[in-house]
Amino acid sequence: MPMLERAEWYDIARDTNWTPKYVSPEALFPDVMTGAQGVEMAKWQCYDEPYKTSYPEYVRVQREKDAGAYSVKAALERSNIFASADPGWHSILKAHYGSLAVGEYAAMSGEARMVRFGQAPGMRNMATFGMLDENRHAQLQLYYPHDLVSKDRQFDWAQKAYHTNEWAAIAVRHTLDDLFMARSATETAIMLTFAFETGFTNMQFLGLAADAAETGDYTFASLVSSIQTDESRHAQIGGPALEVLIANGRKAEAQKLVDIAIARTWRLFAILTGPSMDYYTPIEHRKQSFKEFMQEWIVGQFERSLIELGLDLPWYWDKMIAEFEYQHHAYHLGLWYWRKTIWWNPAAGVTPECRAWLEEKYPGWNDTFGKCWDVITDNLLAGREDLTHPETLPVLCNMSQIPICAIPGNGWNVKDYPLEYEGRTYHFNSEVDRWVFEQDPIRYRDHMSLVDRFLAGEIQPPTLAGVLAYMGLSAAEMGDDAHKNAWVDAFRPDPLAKNAAE
Amino acid sequence: MALFPIISNFQYDFVLQLVPVDTDNTMDEVAAAAAHHSVGRRVAPQPGKVIRVRRQGAAEFYPRTARLGTTDIKPMEALEFIFCEA
Ligand SMILES: [Fe+2]
Ligand SMILES: [Fe+2]
Repeated sequence: MPMLERAEWYDIARDTNWTPKYVSPEALFPDVMTGAQGVEMAKWQCYDEPYKTSYPEYVRVQREKDAGAYSVKAALERSNIFASADPGWHSILKAHYGSLAVGEYAAMSGEARMVRFGQAPGMRNMATFGMLDENRHAQLQLYYPHDLVSKDRQFDWAQKAYHTNEWAAIAVRHTLDDLFMARSATETAIMLTFAFETGFTNMQFLGLAADAAETGDYTFASLVSSIQTDESRHAQIGGPALEVLIANGRKAEAQKLVDIAIARTWRLFAILTGPSMDYYTPIEHRKQSFKEFMQEWIVGQFERSLIELGLDLPWYWDKMIAEFEYQHHAYHLGLWYWRKTIWWNPAAGVTPECRAWLEEKYPGWNDTFGKCWDVITDNLLAGREDLTHPETLPVLCNMSQIPICAIPGNGWNVKDYPLEYEGRTYHFNSEVDRWVFEQDPIRYRDHMSLVDRFLAGEIQPPTLAGVLAYMGLSAAEMGDDAHKNAWVDAFRPDPLAKNAAE
Repeated sequence: MALFPIISNFQYDFVLQLVPVDTDNTMDEVAAAAAHHSVGRRVAPQPGKVIRVRRQGAAEFYPRTARLGTTDIKPMEALEFIFCEA
C-alpha cells in the first residue's frame, strides 16, 4: 500500500482542535494557564511550527541518537580519558551536571504545560516531542555522571544538588522554577524555549561539545551534541508564539516576558559558563574568551533573531553587554573564595600565564580583579591558606540568589541595589535584577535567600559550620582548589625557594 | 547592647558581606569588624590609613567615635568602608 508523504497528511492530523460540548472553552483553557492574554483561539491557528515531524519519525531518530551516544560511552568506558583530563575539566562536568541534569525535568514539566494548554495545535504537537526530549536529557545526564561517583563523590551532586539547600542549587532552582515551572503555556514557550534555549543553551551546548572534543572527552562531547540536536528542534516553539502575540497587539507583554527571561538566564550563564571558559578550561584549550563568545553568539546571533521577530532589544541591553567585561570574573572569585560551599573544585586559573591571557582579553584585569588575586596569592605563598577561606557569608541577591558582587581594585564599583517592599528590604545585584522583581513582586516576595534564612534563625547553629551543614555538603564533597593550590608555585621566584620555605 | 547585622561594602573588595556587629560598637570598631573579612584576604592593607564608615552613596562619614546604636543606621543596611588619611 503506498504511503502518503508527511506533508500531505501532517496539517490535518496535527489539527486537534475541537469544540467542547460539556464545558466552556474558558474552563478548558483558562487564560491563566494558556497565557493567551486574551488572543482568541482562532487567532492561534496560523501558528506555524518551523520544524515538523511525525511520531514514528521522531522515535526512529531518537533511537538512533541514543544508540550513538551510548555506544560511544561503552566504547570509551575503559579508556583513560577521564583520569588524564585536567581537574579543571572535571569541575566543568560537575558544575554542569549538578546545575542542569535535574533541571531537565523542570523543562519537561514546562513542555508538558504547553502540551496541555498551548493554544495552537502545532505548539502542542512540538511540545509533546519536546517533553520527551527533556525526559531523555534528564535521564542521560543522571546516568553518565553516576558511573563517575565511584571515582569522585562530587559527581553524586548530579543527583543531589536540586534536593539540597546549597546556595548555587537554590540559585538555579529559583530561576528555573520561575521560567519553566510556574508559567502559562505561552509564557513557557517564550521564556523557556525562545529566551533560555534559543538565546543561551543551544549555543552553550554547541560550545561545550567543542570544548569536550578539544579536551579529548569524546563521551561527553557525544552526549552533549546528542542533546543539542533536540534543543535546536524544540527551541523553535517560542518564535511562532511570539509572532502570534505581536500580530495581535501584545508586543509590549511579549517584550516584557523576553526581557525578564533573558535577564534571569544571563545570571546563570555568567556564573556557570563564565568561570568554565575563562578559568577552568586549561589555557591551551581556550579558543575564545567568555566575552568573545557572548558577543559573537548572544549579541551577534540572538540580537538578530529578536529584531527579525519585530521585538526590541531589552531596555538593559547595554548594561548587560557592559557586564560581559566583569560580572563572571566577580562570580568566579566568589566561587573560589567560598569554595567549600560548592560541589565542584574551582580551578583558580590565575598563574602568571593565565593572568597575561586575562589581561589581553579583558584589559585592566590586573588592576581590578588581579588586586584581589594578588592578596590571595601572597597568602598562599606565605602559607596562610586560612586567610583564603571566608569567616562570614556574602550577601545574596534576592533575584539571582548569587552573591552581590562587581569590580574590585582600582575599578571598584560594588553596590547594593535595595528595594523596600511591604516592610521588607530586598537586596539586588543590579538595577536589572531589581526591575525583574518589580514586574511581579507577588511572585517573588516570599522567597528567603540563604542569608535571609540565616538572619531569621532558620539555620542552626548560626555559624559558618551550621551553614555548611544546612547546605548538605559532606566533608568529602565540599569544593577545594582544583589543583590543590599547586598553581601558586609558578609565583615562587626560584624553584629551590619552595623547599627552603618548608 | 544588641547584635546588629550590617552589610559591608568594603573599598576595593568585590563582594558585599554580612558582618555581625553590636549597637554598642563605635564606628572604628564597626570598621575593624568589616576589615577582618576583607583586608588581608582580598584587599591589601594600607598602613597608616584609617577606615571610615558612611552610608552607601553618602558624602559624609559617621564620626569615628559614634556608637552604632545612636546613629540612624538600620540593620542590614549597606555601609561603605573607605580608606582615609588618619
Ligand atoms: Fe534539555
Ligand atoms: Fe530543552
